[in-house]
Amino acid sequence: MTLSLEHLTKDFAKNGQERVPALADISLEIRDEEFVCVLGPSGCGKTTLLRIIAGLERPTSGRVQIDGMVIDGPSQKLGMIFQDYSLYPWRTVNENIAFGLELHGVPREKRAKIVQKYRDLAGLSDFGNSYPHELSGGMRQRVAVVRALAVEPSVLLMDEPFGALDAQTRNMLQRELLNIWEKTKKTILFVTHSVDEAVYLADRIVVLTQRPGHICEVIPIDQPRPRDRTSVEFARVRRHVLDLINQRCSFP
Amino acid sequence: MSGMKRIGIIALALVSLALLLVAAGCTQPSGTSRSTPAASTSVPNADVGILYTAGVGPMPQLLATQQIDGYIAWQPYVSIATKSGIGKLVVYSGQLPPDNSNVNHPCCVLFARDDLIAENPDLVTAISALTQASSAYIKAHPAEAADLEADFLVGKSNFTFGNISVSSVDVLNDAFPTVQYTTDPSPQWVNDTKRFVNSEIQLGYVNNQLKNASADQLDSLLFDFGPYQNASQELAAGSITTPHTEANPITIGYLTGDMHSAALSIALKNWQYFNDTYGVALIPRDPTQVRPDTADLVVNGVKVAEVKLVSGSAGPQVMQMAATNVVQIGYVGVPPTIAAIDKGTPVKVINPINTEGSGLVVSPGAPVTDWNSFAAWAQQRAAAGDPIRIAAPGKGSIQDVMLQIALKSSNLTFATVS
Amino acid sequence: MPPLPAAFRFSNRRSLLKFVLPIAIIAGWELLAIWVNNPFILPRLEAVAAVLLSPTVDILGNGSLAANAATSLERVLAGFFVAAAIAIPLGIGMGRSLVLHELFDTLMQLLRPIPPLAWVPLALAWFKIGLVSMVFIIGMGAFFPILLNTLDGVKGVKKNWIETADILGAKEHQILSRVILPGAAPTIWTGLRVGFGIAWMCVVAAEMMPGTNSGLGYLIISAYNWSQVPVIIAGMIVIGIIGIGVDYLFKVIDRRSFAWRELER
Repeated sequence: MTLSLEHLTKDFAKNGQERVPALADISLEIRDEEFVCVLGPSGCGKTTLLRIIAGLERPTSGRVQIDGMVIDGPSQKLGMIFQDYSLYPWRTVNENIAFGLELHGVPREKRAKIVQKYRDLAGLSDFGNSYPHELSGGMRQRVAVVRALAVEPSVLLMDEPFGALDAQTRNMLQRELLNIWEKTKKTILFVTHSVDEAVYLADRIVVLTQRPGHICEVIPIDQPRPRDRTSVEFARVRRHVLDLINQRCSFP
Repeated sequence: MSGMKRIGIIALALVSLALLLVAAGCTQPSGTSRSTPAASTSVPNADVGILYTAGVGPMPQLLATQQIDGYIAWQPYVSIATKSGIGKLVVYSGQLPPDNSNVNHPCCVLFARDDLIAENPDLVTAISALTQASSAYIKAHPAEAADLEADFLVGKSNFTFGNISVSSVDVLNDAFPTVQYTTDPSPQWVNDTKRFVNSEIQLGYVNNQLKNASADQLDSLLFDFGPYQNASQELAAGSITTPHTEANPITIGYLTGDMHSAALSIALKNWQYFNDTYGVALIPRDPTQVRPDTADLVVNGVKVAEVKLVSGSAGPQVMQMAATNVVQIGYVGVPPTIAAIDKGTPVKVINPINTEGSGLVVSPGAPVTDWNSFAAWAQQRAAAGDPIRIAAPGKGSIQDVMLQIALKSSNLTFATVS
Repeated sequence: MPPLPAAFRFSNRRSLLKFVLPIAIIAGWELLAIWVNNPFILPRLEAVAAVLLSPTVDILGNGSLAANAATSLERVLAGFFVAAAIAIPLGIGMGRSLVLHELFDTLMQLLRPIPPLAWVPLALAWFKIGLVSMVFIIGMGAFFPILLNTLDGVKGVKKNWIETADILGAKEHQILSRVILPGAAPTIWTGLRVGFGIAWMCVVAAEMMPGTNSGLGYLIISAYNWSQVPVIIAGMIVIGIIGIGVDYLFKVIDRRSFAWRELER
């Protein structure tokens, strides 16, 4: 799987007249099975970038290609998880996970098996018939992840998925996400504004500047996983990342 | 005392207080002392106030709650008042002044749409024949007619006004003799009808094509006695011509609670008799319905048309339905028919169905025994600054026109009360 | 001392409050009727109760209370379903397609303020007397609440829900049936509930106009024509009871099927 971003720019038209630039000349190659974090301050355009890659928005110039195919609309090769999970509240956990499979006419028995597999993967085996409003935030997020995974995309796009959760749940979900990632061998593009989170999760950290966002640094993280937040090594890496950001990325 | 109980009692007290206040506003002591008439209902600068009620239904109630001093209405509403004690009779419509001008005054008629007369004259003739036959039956069998009419109007139930209950059959027995079920468009009747046109012109209810019509033009604009004459001849000869069949239903309109169209009700209720005796009948489709809404017009054994029967609460409503071709044939007062023809509604009067049959009643406590004492009373009240209020069914109705003419003849001014 | 029976314990006493006013009104009514002593202003409770307790007895030759109630209900349901069948698809279409929205919006805004009863003369002229003209008038009453609520519901469907479906590979008709419809359903249901209430008012009022021979509205007018006030009041009570009853049904189904609404609001 190859995912390449080629000179992406995005302007927004404000009040019909002014053009507000949101992204400027983003180019990046993302490798198969890689875990990439996009890090940047609020308003730097990282959500917009993700939406362009997902095919939900068109770039003003430049293009995205996946496996040699240009992306000009939503594609099943790329799954997306929104910050508010976007679970369908009128569907049970099972039915949410099954959603994509239903769309493709997967027969009922096969569907049930797949749903069970992903439910177990998410650690929600007992909650198949529960509704989202009966679940905690962490549980809902897990459902969102496996719902996206059920249709077997090549890439998972995640837009600050743990932002609304408390620190403890967050840490647990980060661990679980890594677990799932290792088991399913997906490529993940993960947007966040938390340095801590990026250092914990990523193979590479892509740092965006403030608007108009462009890539100012790409920082590889070589530490083996699972990474220990409390270790000296972790602190060193985090310090290094912060320094680089301060030196090179704090002005547009 | 616990909090809940306290709240409950306070709520109860408040509600009772509210209801008492409402009642205080609604009640009036019996008698006629109305301390200060509300601005909206006072009679503007006239001796007598006329309140139009768009039908006669509310009149007994208004009289009984002293919101009016009397009403003029068609039977059986006069008998309802006298038989139940809610009101007393001043005068029947035939005896209203001036002089004897109102004896045998025109009242209700049978009308038909021009297009129906043109398209199926035999059908209109058959209806006229049935009407004539039914009217003859009523004159010959008044008690039976009263019984059938009570059934048709209210399923023979009692009229209950509080503690007073009157049998509808009794009311109708009282009312029938006061209605003349004549169907003959005699020259006198035709002239009286044309006099009504003049009255309506003077009152401003007629101001279009009838206004400047000559007497002869009036004849051709208002009447088509062809079907009536054919029907009379056919009845005399003992054989009704079978009309051709109508593909679509015909709708007959009549007035709710109006016994002047008893010819129609008796024809429906007693269809077997008319079928056997004359070979023409309106046979209700659902025999269990007290007031049939669908019937078949059967002539000489042939089902000629499906007939729908629809009632309106006053003449103008029936005429509106005639104008929009919802209704093709109707039994209704002659003034609304005149007003409709004036506005261009394409109908013609076929024949009268009754003359007289209305009356003026007042509160039982009023010092009135006849028209003269009524006029005196009206003058007294007007002089005292508390003019009487009389309800009439609707602007331009016979009752309205006759009342206005009668009041004028006694030098009483009048104005509409809202 | 034994514990109080359930009805008298504190938490249940609060729900008893619901009954305080109706009982007070009934008691007050009877007292007032006796004091006023004029059956045309306020008939005695017994008179009205007598009518209500014999719903199958013929009234003034118009048929029984029950039969007329059934006729009115029939009419309102017919009109209501026709209105829903047109308003819901139209609302969804207008919500999803700007073109459709622009096309119909002006017409809808023009028609909306017209009171349904203003259509009676036209309806009678076009459709003559019968169920069709009734359905038209009632339909006009129910149509706009249903349409506007459907539109609102469709527009209120979260963008993320739709985008999730897009990404998972949904086609437009699947988005309509699996995201829009269920997502808008609670608001549409509210529209149906309001629409029914208006339709119910319409049918009774439409039956008071010339051209009908049956139904609760006609019964009331007929009773008015004969000054039978207890029948009028009994008719009004039946109208109110049916109105409450149906509304309650709507509420119950709302609570059961749309509990998830709480999550979103």
